[in-house]
Amino acid sequence: MSTETTLDDITRSIWEQVQFTADLCVKCNICTSHCPVANVTDLFPGPKYVGPQAQRFRNPKELSVDDSLDYCSGCGVCTMVCPHGVKVMEMNAKARYKLYRDKKPIPLRNRLLGRTELQGMLGSPFAPIANAVFQLRPVRILTEWVLGIHRDAPFPPFSFETFRGWFRGVYQKSPHRLKSEKKVVYFHGCSTNYYEPRVGKAALAVLEHNGFEVVVPEQVCCGLPLLSNAEFDAARHKACQNIASLVKYAREGYKIVGTSTSCTLSLKSDYRHILDIDTEDARLVAEQTYDICEFLLDLANAGELKTDFQPMEAVIPYHAPCQLKAHNMGLPAIDLLEMIPGVKIQLVQADCCGIAGTYGYKKEKYQIGMDVGRPLFEQVIASGSPIAICDSETCRWQIGHATGAKMLHPVELLAQAYGLDVNQG
Amino acid sequence: MSVYDTIVIGAGLTGLTAACRLAQAGQKVLLTALGEGALLLAPGCIDVLGFQPADSQQPVKDPLAQLDSFLSDNPDHPYRLLGKETLAAGLTAFQELVNRHGLNFQGDPHHNWHLPTTIGAVHPTCLAPASMAGGDLQKAAKVLIVGFRELRDFYPTLIADNLNSQSLGVQASALQLDAPPPVAGRVNITPIQLAHAFEDPLFRRRLVQAVAPHSKGVDKIGFPAVLGLAEHAGVLADLQKGLGKPVFEINTLPPSVPGRRLFEALRDAFLKAGGRLIIGGKILAGRIENGRVVEIRLETASRAKPLRAENIILATGGIFGGGLQTDASGRVWEPIFGLPLHAEDNRHRWFTRSFFASTGQPVANYGVMVNARFNPVDEAGQPVAENLFAAGAVLAHSEWTRGRTGDGLAVTTAYAIAEQLTRSAQ
Ligand SMILES: Cc1cc2nc3c(=O)[nH]c(=O)nc-3n(C[C@H](O)[C@H](O)[C@H](O)COP(=O)(O)OP(=O)(O)OC[C@H]3O[C@@H](n4cnc5c(N)ncnc54)[C@H](O)[C@@H]3O)c2cc1C
Repeated sequence: MSTETTLDDITRSIWEQVQFTADLCVKCNICTSHCPVANVTDLFPGPKYVGPQAQRFRNPKELSVDDSLDYCSGCGVCTMVCPHGVKVMEMNAKARYKLYRDKKPIPLRNRLLGRTELQGMLGSPFAPIANAVFQLRPVRILTEWVLGIHRDAPFPPFSFETFRGWFRGVYQKSPHRLKSEKKVVYFHGCSTNYYEPRVGKAALAVLEHNGFEVVVPEQVCCGLPLLSNAEFDAARHKACQNIASLVKYAREGYKIVGTSTSCTLSLKSDYRHILDIDTEDARLVAEQTYDICEFLLDLANAGELKTDFQPMEAVIPYHAPCQLKAHNMGLPAIDLLEMIPGVKIQLVQADCCGIAGTYGYKKEKYQIGMDVGRPLFEQVIASGSPIAICDSETCRWQIGHATGAKMLHPVELLAQAYGLDVNQG
Repeated sequence: MSVYDTIVIGAGLTGLTAACRLAQAGQKVLLTALGEGALLLAPGCIDVLGFQPADSQQPVKDPLAQLDSFLSDNPDHPYRLLGKETLAAGLTAFQELVNRHGLNFQGDPHHNWHLPTTIGAVHPTCLAPASMAGGDLQKAAKVLIVGFRELRDFYPTLIADNLNSQSLGVQASALQLDAPPPVAGRVNITPIQLAHAFEDPLFRRRLVQAVAPHSKGVDKIGFPAVLGLAEHAGVLADLQKGLGKPVFEINTLPPSVPGRRLFEALRDAFLKAGGRLIIGGKILAGRIENGRVVEIRLETASRAKPLRAENIILATGGIFGGGLQTDASGRVWEPIFGLPLHAEDNRHRWFTRSFFASTGQPVANYGVMVNARFNPVDEAGQPVAENLFAAGAVLAHSEWTRGRTGDGLAVTTAYAIAEQLTRSAQ
């Protein structure tokens, strides 16, 4: 085979760009038939129509052709099931950006939902008050009227102590803190920082238990909430800040481990494929980024994971979030958790929980989200288990809201099985 | 140490069948596929041999009995590697497998159903869901074909007229309805969406009320194949009860609801048996050393991940499935292992001059050559890797359009390989 660049190589490299994968579409409708949203509402005709089919009418210089695009939840099931490599979800995300840029102003509500960090920074210091106030029905009704954030959408309480605050104030000062040659970088994301520091604490404890010193560098919101609310410029800004901070470690060969599957997916893929940040640094950060279960299972497969688990008799339902499936690496949490003696993980058969990041918070989309998640909720309830497991935060909140189950990140169960005290340093 | 006993590449009918059988036999199996295979596009029945000779107008009645004649016309077809016994055993095993997981496939290797298609042609098929087998045209009957204005590309009048014009002994009449709410008035509805609507008892009750007055004097009633997904059995029973007559399904244009049911049954059976599944998991490359595949590489979101297994099954489909790639210069290649192929690199030889040529299109026969163990071989017949197996549409000489052999080949080659791998492990 010759090593020269042929016309076909060039054609292929163009096809690999998101917009042009539309040409790979054979209109088979596999994506439409799996689209969780199109299956519960008429408002979204389905990924094929809005994606590759509409794409050919999208002239970069002209107004976007189709408003129903706004009802795409961005879950990415379409891209996943496509046998021909069409990047349907990515195409739609880009088209939505254009829709808002050219045609409609981005509502204040979307701007707020996109800024998880701002919410956290405002809410967390006043957590006791903010949580109490935001639980009041009239406040939620008012928020729905004024902003269009659905009154029943699942908002977890702010944590008074942020993860970073704890990390600096308690963990770093702890005399027991592990110093080691083996180091990993931890990307906690906004949810761990402002809402669920317990997930970050568990991650640190599990990583340390396995002999890793954990570095928590400067980081900002991954930008995904902004991206999915069509604020590409703001998202790109966040992305560049993260890349600049993380690449220093990536260059030294550190692995970057995250507990939020959507943050890690942004670092791995969205920065490059949706935000078009195709730099050497972005690629390096992407290559070094790992979902925490992926990281731990790799260790296990290499025989390097500690297995001093205390047995735990439990059958626990597990939902694999869309943002995890899009890593295209399988479901490492299942194999990992089943290493705990006595634990049986029951994979819930459902495409999506419906929340899809910020989608299910919106007044006009809340019910769609709940309808999408129904088969999932039914299975969790039918399992009779008081707890359920899911790697992604908003999905945990949605499933918890709909089923009443106590929701855990896989790493929390691991920490428990290792018998670790997660609040210490 | 390998994490997996077997990795199956491809989630079409072939890959799913093989993966299921191996997982159920106690193997640790990973099934990884770039996307879903052709199941959602094909009718969701198992065609084994429909026309012999290929240009015959007479559909085959007994596929197994016609096998020798088929193989003498198509001596290179991979059916030759199976023999009648394995072919029959594979089909029976498949039928048992899916029927244990909520489906109700009817038929046997010595019998073809003759089912009406979306345009009222005759579709000879060997195993079919009971709901479709009910439409068999070999028994004289008065049938009513019902369609919905909301569902494009399903025209009851066209179906009825074409059936009537073929002197099949079937007397068909047509009824075009507005679907009950909430479907009424919608455009662009897909069969899958309509199937969801059928799972609502109120929808069905309204439908029964609309159809019943037109069903006097008919023996059975045919609907587009949208009678429910997970709750299909209940939907069908409820409609038969409501209408007081046998009800059957006629396949629609893709996406195919029966295909989806089959996909889900196989997927769930596989997961239940402890299988690991990655949909969206493209295999980029494989490394063969000393006659063994030592590693394959999975394309994850940001890097290639090496995977190891004792055995690898290549079930990546033909050109349509992505198992073979082609380009404008005429190159045809197998992208994962770069396997030797039966193919021509002169693009002018890919097709004959006539689209419906009785010889079929040469390009449809391009594929991976295998030995009797289904190991890919080179031109000299030497196996490329002893732990690599190829099955289904990726195989050379497996053109399926003329004889209608695609599904049968998928299911039975998957069966043959799984048998080999479980037997050798014991
Ligand atoms: C529209 C249509 C209609 C048909 N109708 C009939 C019919 O009426 N009768 C009949 O007998 N046959 C029919 N067939 C053919 C029959 O369906 C196929 O021959 C049979 O299903 C083949 O299945 P398969 O599993 O071998 O391949 P496919 O179903 O094509 O599956 C291939 C799988 O491999 C995956 N894959 C490919 N490359 C890679 C890679 N690099 N890494 C990971 N995964 C990969 C794909 O994503 C897919 O999951 C039809 C086919 C089509 C497309």
